[in-house]
Amino acid sequence: MRRRASATAALLALGAALAIVAGAYATPERAAAPAAQSGSDAASVKCGKTRTIGFMVPVTGPAASIGVQQQHWAQYYVSTYNKTHKGTKFKLQTEDTQLGAPTGTAEALKGAQALAGSPNVLGVVGPAGSNEIVGVTKTLMDGGLAWVSGSSTRTTLTTDGTRTGYMFRTVPPDAVQSTTVANYISNKLKYKRVYIIDDQETYSTGLADAVQAKLRAAGATVGRDGVSQQQSDFSSLIAKIARDTQIVYIPWQLPPKGQAFGNQMKAAGKGSIKLMGSDGLFDSSFASVGAHVYDTNFPLNPKSKIIAGFKKQHGGDGEYFGAPSYAATQVVATAINRACKTGTTTRAKVRAAIRTTAIPAKASLIGVALRFNRNGDLSTLHGFGLYKSNGKDFVPIPG
Amino acid sequence: MNWSLFFDLTVSGLTLGSLYALIALGYSMVYGILKLLNFAHGDVYMIGAFLGWYTLHALGGPLNPTISGVFVLFVMFIVSMLGCGVLGVAIERFAYRPLRNAPRIAPLISALGVSIFLQNSALLIFGASFRDYDTFDLIGVKTFSVGQLFFSVTQLLTVVLAVLLMVALTIFVARSRLGKAMRSTSFDREAASMMGIDVDRVIAVTFFIGSALAGAAGVMFGLVFGQIYHYMGFIAGLKGFTAAVLGGIGSIPGAMVGGLIVGLAESYATGYLPQGSTFQNLYVFALLIAVILIRPSGLFGTAAIQKV
Amino acid sequence: MAAGGGSGVPPDRSGPADAPDSPRIGVDEWVASVEGKRERYTGLRGRLTREWDHLPPPARVLVFAIPAAIFPLVTTEGNLFRYGLFTLIYALLALGLNIVVGFAGLLDLGYIAFFGCGAYLYAILASPQFGYHWQAEAAIPVIVLGTAIVGLLVGLPSRRLFGDYLAILTLFFGQAFVIFVNNANRISFPFVGHADLTGGSNGIANIDPFNFFGYKITTTRQQYYFLLIGVSVFLVLLMFVNDSRTGRAWRALREDPLAAEVMSIPVNRLKLLAFVCGAAAAGFTGAIYGTIATAALPGDYDVGLLITIYAIMILGGFGSIMGIVVGAIIVSSVPELLRSSANARPLFYGAILLALLVKIRPWRLLAAELGGLVAFGFVVHAIAEAAYPRLVDGKALGSGTVAHALDHWMLLPQHPVKIADFAYISLVAAVVVYPQLSRLWRALLLAPLLYLVMFVWENLLLVQIGGATRLVLLGALLVALMNVRPQGLFGTATVEIV
Repeated sequence: MRRRASATAALLALGAALAIVAGAYATPERAAAPAAQSGSDAASVKCGKTRTIGFMVPVTGPAASIGVQQQHWAQYYVSTYNKTHKGTKFKLQTEDTQLGAPTGTAEALKGAQALAGSPNVLGVVGPAGSNEIVGVTKTLMDGGLAWVSGSSTRTTLTTDGTRTGYMFRTVPPDAVQSTTVANYISNKLKYKRVYIIDDQETYSTGLADAVQAKLRAAGATVGRDGVSQQQSDFSSLIAKIARDTQIVYIPWQLPPKGQAFGNQMKAAGKGSIKLMGSDGLFDSSFASVGAHVYDTNFPLNPKSKIIAGFKKQHGGDGEYFGAPSYAATQVVATAINRACKTGTTTRAKVRAAIRTTAIPAKASLIGVALRFNRNGDLSTLHGFGLYKSNGKDFVPIPG
Repeated sequence: MNWSLFFDLTVSGLTLGSLYALIALGYSMVYGILKLLNFAHGDVYMIGAFLGWYTLHALGGPLNPTISGVFVLFVMFIVSMLGCGVLGVAIERFAYRPLRNAPRIAPLISALGVSIFLQNSALLIFGASFRDYDTFDLIGVKTFSVGQLFFSVTQLLTVVLAVLLMVALTIFVARSRLGKAMRSTSFDREAASMMGIDVDRVIAVTFFIGSALAGAAGVMFGLVFGQIYHYMGFIAGLKGFTAAVLGGIGSIPGAMVGGLIVGLAESYATGYLPQGSTFQNLYVFALLIAVILIRPSGLFGTAAIQKV
Repeated sequence: MAAGGGSGVPPDRSGPADAPDSPRIGVDEWVASVEGKRERYTGLRGRLTREWDHLPPPARVLVFAIPAAIFPLVTTEGNLFRYGLFTLIYALLALGLNIVVGFAGLLDLGYIAFFGCGAYLYAILASPQFGYHWQAEAAIPVIVLGTAIVGLLVGLPSRRLFGDYLAILTLFFGQAFVIFVNNANRISFPFVGHADLTGGSNGIANIDPFNFFGYKITTTRQQYYFLLIGVSVFLVLLMFVNDSRTGRAWRALREDPLAAEVMSIPVNRLKLLAFVCGAAAAGFTGAIYGTIATAALPGDYDVGLLITIYAIMILGGFGSIMGIVVGAIIVSSVPELLRSSANARPLFYGAILLALLVKIRPWRLLAAELGGLVAFGFVVHAIAEAAYPRLVDGKALGSGTVAHALDHWMLLPQHPVKIADFAYISLVAAVVVYPQLSRLWRALLLAPLLYLVMFVWENLLLVQIGGATRLVLLGALLVALMNVRPQGLFGTATVEIV
């Protein structure tokens, strides 16, 4: 009995001690303003010769196949920059976010913390996924870091106002892409029987919803389904697609899955139904399904020297999904250099420099100049490029 | 009634079901003897798919194989089955045998460890990208149609081969000396060892057969669905597992029937239920839960008598 | 395997662990001799063990809590987040899981779903999703109660199911949860109609921070201390429960449900109680995680986290409360340390050296082996330099003396992909075969094996340290640990029923 009493007393003492310590370090004043980390926001950093860009990318995990493309493109920018510039060099501090991994956004969060905590990191390229951005928003903003994503397309990320001035992206949002797709299907192809399948990931459902709404408004009959990204047996799903369907729209992000789907359609005797993918599927592996495959992508300039150089280094593979990450790296690097004119800079200055980015069309592989609007979206890009397969590769077609 | 849809769904359900049945057999046989859920089994299946792919490419690739297409297939199956069999025996020897007398949770955790290890080793070696079997180029996927019934040659091959393997297994277990030893070991391990049966050997053989079947299923998956990747073992393992439990874990005919039921259920759920393909796994799991709540020992299982 | 058999090995594992089916007859003697074994430890270790056993629970917790409370003062915000915050979250989760698995012996593979339930419930109650902004003091009890009820519903079948069937059922519950939250925005509910309950694959963003009567917990430090208090209180509670009637009943249930039932222990009620307690703990942790991540996203509550939490519990030892805290520290911080190759190399080689020190006696043999390894390396390097220069044309990762030294000793091809893959597979095969060899062969082949390990590490594992390597090591660690110490680092060996 006495032991229990003393134990309880000790417990109370412990609780009180912890509460006092906690109180001492976590006063409401500190909470009101994000002062605890504002040091890194305004802290002035020596730019030095080698400048560091934070890079959040899924190098491993289920989405690694697209993450690696982004990594290649970002590294391509850095290596060509470093080769052609004598005075300054860039290096990437890569944090693996494991997008789509069974541990979820925890890895992205830790990576963001690591970047926010490294004083040398002045700006961030990535993260890749829209949900990752939602997860790391607070961390990066508390650290005063701006980030430029090359693949997160959820429209509300920039329009809901919570990340204004911090988040930028070099891909157009779903709203732009879905309009291009829906207009093409209903006005150009004049198809009335459409089937849409999303892959249950946030990128995909957003696009699928938007296209579905627009096509229905245009009077088309739209069937809708979803299939988990972890699945590659589509046979029963394909059985469900009526044989008189005219086109199947699959806004997915893993080109091999699109290829598998297309091949399984053919094996099921439904190879005559047209297929349309999204920028996530813009890859020769998806194009190889056949000449009945359409796709959309931001209007890459296929004659661009940058793309040719990249292809040469990577065995002829364009890895186009990663291309906007090249633009994102370019934006961040240029902004850091501008903010570094005096030799020292702050993260706030880099943010401001990114906001006022102006990269001429000549230097950009997207084909148009890179400038951001107030929300952080590209103000220079209003439509998506349309492509059709020639059986091996995608070639641009008039929209 | 839309018969065309029904036939399509049935064909795809049977194909999937054969795969699940082959995977389920491995779970079930191991459970029957060791009372162990071999979590790594799904990953053995994944390794089998990759072994098949490497064999295919060692033989010149799908476009210009050095030997005729059918023979390439044969070699792929043999290599994958042997390789997976050996892998299964190694896993048993290294991760499970030392734990045979440990608390029951220890081998389970060890199995989890093997699963993580295999999956990420595959990521390490094969990379994160998808590998293509390119079945089209290899044997040319012809689609047959009988009335409204459409099926491809790979689907036919899968179902026929799976049935053959299962028949062979049934005969082996029922007739051969080793099969008899397996049955008696699964009935009572201690008694079997007292009767002079080399229990260790029987267990190794069980792992070999179960893993070889999973390897065959892996190659079939590659042939039918075209693509393989390091993560494919998890969900397939779950389904195989479901099939084994549904049929009554430990029962060989149960695993076969369970596999077919799961495959067909998945297919019909996708086709006929609301939001079918979105929630197909949910529907399959619901079926499983219903079965084990009504008949905890599964369809073919015998009610377990708890040994004291 | 137990050939070393030194004084450091607990004496209860008599005989090789892989002896064919040797039933432990005479288990009662084993039980009776436990006290004696405890007394047998002498010297520092024995004193420490006894002192520890006699400490009252709150004092034991202080041993952990005081350093933990000092930690934020000596580290940066970023490190506090990556090491401190996640360690505490993992610890809290593992402690809750320990009630279900460690105490009551129910294999719950859907545990993470309760964690997700907590996060989503809090997200629903305090975010712009539905416009509710509940105070934490009101939301937390509701969440704990809510997840407890879900736990009760999932646990109900455990009345009928035992063992592995329960594991399957809960595993599917976990999967079902993920599918549900990922797609709930497409469901129309009865009575309510269409309601976007979970935000679908977008999840729920902009979750409020905890707000206790107007006091907001927003910074990492505040969250850390809040969690620390939570963990400490929970630890003390668990220690009392462990010594209580319920705790003893749970253990009886874990060891032998049938015997427990015969002893008129209310088995079903206790199972449910364990389930509900575990679920509630996970729900509470989930709410905290929701405020930290400021979003509830469907991918965050999947198998990966479950495996992590199980790894913690196993490493620490089933049923051992402080062991779990140690496990959480190890499992959450080692992968973070391994993020950079500068840390990874010394950690890896340190671990190998430690294992060799423990395993190889006498020290002369160890010295000979290490000397042999160094010589072997130089010989191999010299041969390769002469015959296959392509094997040595690369450089070791990173900089510093170690990397520089490796350049002259280790085979470092510039394009190691194929050969490293091959070496990796050979290594796995070699590790499987090695224990089967005779003593002499093992001694002879140790140096080449170690060289192979180092080759694979330098050319493959270290290159991919950011991703697959860490999980490969985790998987190997689990298997090895189960081989060597199935009860975990701090667990006590349970008596096996014959």
